[in-house]
Amino acid sequence: MRKYHKITPEGTKDLLFEECLTHRYVERTLADVFSSHGFHEVITPGLEFYDVFDTESSGIGQEVMYKMSDKRGRLVCMRPDSTMPIARLTATRLQNLPKPIRLYYTQHIYCNNPGLTGRNDEVMQSGIELLGARGRRADLEVLAIAIEALSRCVPNFRIELGHAGFFKAIAAQLPIDDTVREDIRQYIEAKNYAALDMVLDQLGESKSVNAMRRLPRLFGGEEILKEAAQFCVDDSAFQTLSYLQELYSALTDLGIGDHIMIDLGLVQRTDYYTDIVFSAYVEGCGDAVLTGGRYDNLLASFDSPMPAIGFAMNVDAITDILINNGKGKKAPTVDVLVHCDDGYEMKAICYAANLVGDGLRCENSIFVTRKESLDYAKQMGISRVDFVGEKIETLTR
Amino acid sequence: MKPLRIALTKGRLERDTVAMFERIGFDCTAVHEKGRKLILPIGDNQFEVVLAKAADVITYVEHGVCDLGVVGKDTIIENGSSFYEVLDLGFGKCKFALAAPKGTDFYGGYASKTIATKYPNVARSFFEGKGMDVKIIKIEGSVELAPLLGLSDAIIDIVETGSTLKENGLEVIEKVCDISARLIVNTASMKLRKGEIDTLIGQMEQAKETE
Repeated sequence: MRKYHKITPEGTKDLLFEECLTHRYVERTLADVFSSHGFHEVITPGLEFYDVFDTESSGIGQEVMYKMSDKRGRLVCMRPDSTMPIARLTATRLQNLPKPIRLYYTQHIYCNNPGLTGRNDEVMQSGIELLGARGRRADLEVLAIAIEALSRCVPNFRIELGHAGFFKAIAAQLPIDDTVREDIRQYIEAKNYAALDMVLDQLGESKSVNAMRRLPRLFGGEEILKEAAQFCVDDSAFQTLSYLQELYSALTDLGIGDHIMIDLGLVQRTDYYTDIVFSAYVEGCGDAVLTGGRYDNLLASFDSPMPAIGFAMNVDAITDILINNGKGKKAPTVDVLVHCDDGYEMKAICYAANLVGDGLRCENSIFVTRKESLDYAKQMGISRVDFVGEKIETLTR
Repeated sequence: MKPLRIALTKGRLERDTVAMFERIGFDCTAVHEKGRKLILPIGDNQFEVVLAKAADVITYVEHGVCDLGVVGKDTIIENGSSFYEVLDLGFGKCKFALAAPKGTDFYGGYASKTIATKYPNVARSFFEGKGMDVKIIKIEGSVELAPLLGLSDAIIDIVETGSTLKENGLEVIEKVCDISARLIVNTASMKLRKGEIDTLIGQMEQAKETE
């Protein structure tokens, strides 16, 4: 018995007209930005082996992956992320290419969200990866492209910059095991001050404990870096701060100072990100529209160690923001409806092709009588109807 | 500037939060005279209060249609989280507890146990943490009934004074965790409207201390 043939699975939807056009517009705009900076497009399979995402540090839980088995019973899943497939591809087919390698993609990722939350299980992401390069120049390049990509789509964004190394440096000073460290990290990520205090209260008083306590609140402008400096006990924490300061100053030179924030409490996926991390927010979207960072250890898990940095943008979220702000792309109207009298079908098709050649948008009428064609044109708001018979007559409303 | 939108859990948490707002000095007349309205301006039109059921407060904040929310920790644990939980408001205090008929040895024996609860996720993660296999049955109403009727061996539920348990011949076997009202913030709002939100958090923290 067919029961579900008229609906789509929860978390998916059809994109129609304005939505579809705007979606494609965002995709194209981003692709233009990426390719104009020398990035090359790749498409990876929608299905991958589960093992690709099963690294210790991926930060993607198995419960959120759509999984199935292949013909030989091996576990495969629908791509939950694009960076790991790109790491796989770079470590294998591209391993002999000169570095750095610049890649971009526009493809869906799939996430098996809990039901009834209104979240999308299929999300279009567009992003870049700069592989085989480390250091300030590479980081600035990627950040500048992120900023350009955002500015082209949604000018009112906020981008925030953090550093995975700061948390790690402070955590290393605390007498804690990995489980407690992970608890602390989660509480900081959730800015759960109450729970964080409870864990830290058991660790006594020290500069590093105070730093952890303060960490979720360490976000804002440049002044945050100065405040954070008071908590540093060793060189590695200091270095992360002065590096952030360096990037911050460099980016303010782009004239977008008020768009940039520092958030030292950006500690998501700290086992995955090794260095700078960043995300961007836009009014009208309750979640980050862009996330990224440096992940220098990932390629090693594909036996081809190399530094890398990248980001992904949520094309769906940006599309929604544009449409909600009345900036969606409208479907172009048809200029001419071409009607043909009986026996002149091919003449009409050739005639329409000529009009299209002249740059007009031309629709073929399938109606038999001229009256029906006229009614249809009126209904669809098409202002001109050309009748193709012995002669060609044009009627403009 | 749009007013900051705050979702409040209807009922006791709403009253306690409004009392806190009044201590800060916000005009909450609209909330007192709300009638059937669900979105109400407070303060100097700086804020808008939205009244909702507990789990919906989380949903509205997660989606960013409300910037902040006041909700019990119980709801947060049960419904998961992708938002910031910034303040323990200190009211609405109670606890999650595992309770069983008086005198039973819950952890004894090898038979697998059945737990009745309104909070299946809380129950599941509690027993997963113990590495214990249990059967969980979701009950909507008075959970105390389940062991009395012989449906379950024990319950996991919110306990305030423990008098309901006592009257039904149940006793607390173990505390699962403490609960109180929390202030939660949408991740994007926290970044986009940091100034206003920081000020409000500061004010609420202070109002809590002067309580």
